[in-house]
Amino acid sequence: MLLVTVGLTLAACGSSDEPILIGLAGPFSQQRAQSMQLAAQLAVSEINQQGGVRGRPLQLVVHDDSGMADIAVRVARTLHADPDVVAVVGHMNSGATLAAARVYNSGDNPLVEISPSASSPDLSDAGPYTFRVCPSDSIHGIQLAEWARDQLGANRVAILYENDAYGRGLRTTFKNSFTERGGQIVSDDPFSNILPSFEPYLTRIRSRGGADVVLFAGARDGAEEMLRTLNMIRYQPTVLGGDGAAGIETADIDTEGVYVSLAYLHDQPGARNEAFTSAYRRIYGGQLPDHRGAGAYDAVYLLARAIESVGVNRARVRDYLAGVGDETEPYDGVTGSIAFAANGDVVDRDVVIAIVRNKRLESVAR
Amino acid sequence: MNPWAALNTLRTRIVLGEAALVVGLVVVAVIGIGALRTVRNTVARELASLTAVSAANSRLVTTLFEQVRAAEQYLTDGSVEARNAFRSGGEAAHTYQRRLQALSELSESDRLVVTQVGVLQAEAEVLYSFAHAQQDLGRRGDAQSGARLARERATEMLRLVDLLSLSQSVGAEATATSLEQAATDREMLVWTVLVASVLIAVAIGVATLQSVERPLTRLAAAARRFGDGDLRPVALGKMPSELAELGEALDRLGGTLRTLVTEVVEESERIASAAEDLSAISEQLAATSGDVSTAMEELSSGAQRQVAGLDESCAAAQTLHETTEDAGHVSSRVAELGADIHQLAETYGSDIDAAGNTLVELGNLVQRTARQVEELDELSEPIYEFIDLIKQISSQTNLLALNAAIEAARAGERGVGFSVVAEEVRQLADTSAQAAERVSGTITTIRDHVSAMTETMATGRAQARGVGAVSQGAAEALRQIVTSVREVETESRRVAGQAAQNLTAVDNITRALKSASQAAQSHASSSEEVAAAAQEQGASTEEMAAQAAVLNRAAEHLRSLVKAFRA
Repeated sequence: MLLVTVGLTLAACGSSDEPILIGLAGPFSQQRAQSMQLAAQLAVSEINQQGGVRGRPLQLVVHDDSGMADIAVRVARTLHADPDVVAVVGHMNSGATLAAARVYNSGDNPLVEISPSASSPDLSDAGPYTFRVCPSDSIHGIQLAEWARDQLGANRVAILYENDAYGRGLRTTFKNSFTERGGQIVSDDPFSNILPSFEPYLTRIRSRGGADVVLFAGARDGAEEMLRTLNMIRYQPTVLGGDGAAGIETADIDTEGVYVSLAYLHDQPGARNEAFTSAYRRIYGGQLPDHRGAGAYDAVYLLARAIESVGVNRARVRDYLAGVGDETEPYDGVTGSIAFAANGDVVDRDVVIAIVRNKRLESVAR
Repeated sequence: MNPWAALNTLRTRIVLGEAALVVGLVVVAVIGIGALRTVRNTVARELASLTAVSAANSRLVTTLFEQVRAAEQYLTDGSVEARNAFRSGGEAAHTYQRRLQALSELSESDRLVVTQVGVLQAEAEVLYSFAHAQQDLGRRGDAQSGARLARERATEMLRLVDLLSLSQSVGAEATATSLEQAATDREMLVWTVLVASVLIAVAIGVATLQSVERPLTRLAAAARRFGDGDLRPVALGKMPSELAELGEALDRLGGTLRTLVTEVVEESERIASAAEDLSAISEQLAATSGDVSTAMEELSSGAQRQVAGLDESCAAAQTLHETTEDAGHVSSRVAELGADIHQLAETYGSDIDAAGNTLVELGNLVQRTARQVEELDELSEPIYEFIDLIKQISSQTNLLALNAAIEAARAGERGVGFSVVAEEVRQLADTSAQAAERVSGTITTIRDHVSAMTETMATGRAQARGVGAVSQGAAEALRQIVTSVREVETESRRVAGQAAQNLTAVDNITRALKSASQAAQSHASSSEEVAAAAQEQGASTEEMAAQAAVLNRAAEHLRSLVKAFRA
């Protein structure tokens, strides 16, 4: 009897029952990060139901960074300092991800971060421990500019950009690509949640001859506010948004016909994606995952695969990820095939251009 | 071989002491150089980091001011230049913020301030853009209220930038303080090692000097005592192996001298007593010879008187008869004494021969001792070499200390303390040289004693040779005595025989007076012959007495010579 007890205790003392910790950082108090958290939790519970990683369960350590650079730095320090945390899925937006990247890449024992949705071009050079499973804003900016110029035939574009790393990055790549293609930028105005109103910007655009397309480079809340203002002043240009604006389709206003570029859309073809979306819909009461959720889901599975192969050593996990698509096969994720370039960016990934129809996003055939 | 035995030599001790000092100085030098290098590298690194951060910071500050200035200008004149300057200033400020953020040298608190500055700048930018849009739309009032909000952000932003500059100067100060602390720590370490090595070197030096000086003092005292004639064994105690060898040699010398002196004293006593005996017998002999001579002279005059008074009575003849009988007795007595002397002389002859042999042996012993003393003298040579070594090392240390003092002087204020230590080291070297000089003096004293002893030995050898010659002379004298005694014996027998014949003749005179005159004549001449022989005997006896006196004097001299020694 005693022997049995001792044996059980020894087994419990071994690492088999202790969970493997993975950080999850994003502005989870905000609506836009809901899908990221839900999808990450879905991935973890799926993996644990299949026996975990190396016989140990995965466990998420969730931190809310409010989408702010300074809070993200604090969160990153906490995760970085915890030796049991093997890697981080996050952060969600570019500003937070960039600020946190400096913490994750520092010290004797750097920590891997895989952002599901941070698309700032600056992130490409953020450090060897920073990865992302989504295309960068330069891809979004270039492909949005192509879409506006080639598909929509726009000549004059007004840009409203959120005055953060994301907004400035998307605005710069769009601007460069669009002017290269012979288009004209008629205005280029910054905003943030401190902006009293979009009205002066939009009125000035209209008063100076109008724009064929308004490019909105910012987050969903700002996009909703801007669309509300457009309705108010009864000005109806074509609105094009970056992936930051995703989720706008569910807003309590008329968003019909708004274009959004996305790293991922739930209606993407592929068996992996179908299984993911159906599981997500079933568990979360019919909701659909957004690109952040899909990215987080892929990031969790990638980390699980890495830990299964090389264990919980942070540096080894990083080396494994850097070799995905090169030393090991590309990962067939729900967002598509994932292979990492040397700078931690995902390679050869087109963005999805979607249009809001009946409060739903639909992929637009190109 | 016990490995610790090597520690007990002067060479090892001196080498160890100097090695400790040299190793200490080398360690001090290495730490000093390392400290200087570390401080230099740290200063270079910190300066580079400060330069990088402050350069990026000052550019950021400039562009932020430029952007705010352009924003305000646009509100006043609405010019395209101001608008473009506002735009480009903003972009430049964002770029410099990113660069500043990318600097690993930036402290975490400064990084947070830079992030905060970025947030405020973005807000100010948005609010100024908003105000500009209102201005463009001709809404001056809205533009002004928007600008007020923008200015709040801009003011706060510029305050934070000031704070950043301040924090950098504080950081520079902290860096300077930590550098100073590091330098002070290194300095303390250098001092500690320096003092420790000097203390170790001093301790080893003092121990070595004591281990040389104390045994040398004991050896000198022992040598001085031997020189003064006190040959009793001395306890020298523990000492380094080189000096222990010297001590053993001194001890052996003492033992040999003791044996020798004891023998000489015994022999001289025996010689003296023999000479005394001889002298007494000679005196007795001389006295007896005088008696014989007197008797013979009486006899002779008696005979002459007999010749002259031949006519005298029978009573005279009777007297003659009695006198002749007396002469016969005396002669017999002389013969007996001669035999005694003969026997005595032979006995002492062999004694004196033995004494002579002993003296020859003694001479050899003195010679051997003299050789040992010379060896002792030679043994002090290596000690001179050690002293030279000590002097050499002292002068080199002195030179080193001088160099150190020069280097310290060159090092300026930082070297002041070091120059004090260099002076201490130099004084230590001087002290070593002085101690070596003292040791050298002690050794010279020992050598003087040794050479004094060598001289005493030579004198002793000469005196021993003199005693040998004296004893040979004594032997010769004894031989002559024996010869003389033999002659006395022969003459005595002849006298006795003549006396017997005379007696017969006197008897015959009594019976035949006629031929008495003739007989008396012949008798008188015989008596004269006997007297001459007796006189001759007396001379031999005197000569013998003189020789005995010589022997006695030699014995006395010998006794006074050995009296100085205490075995």
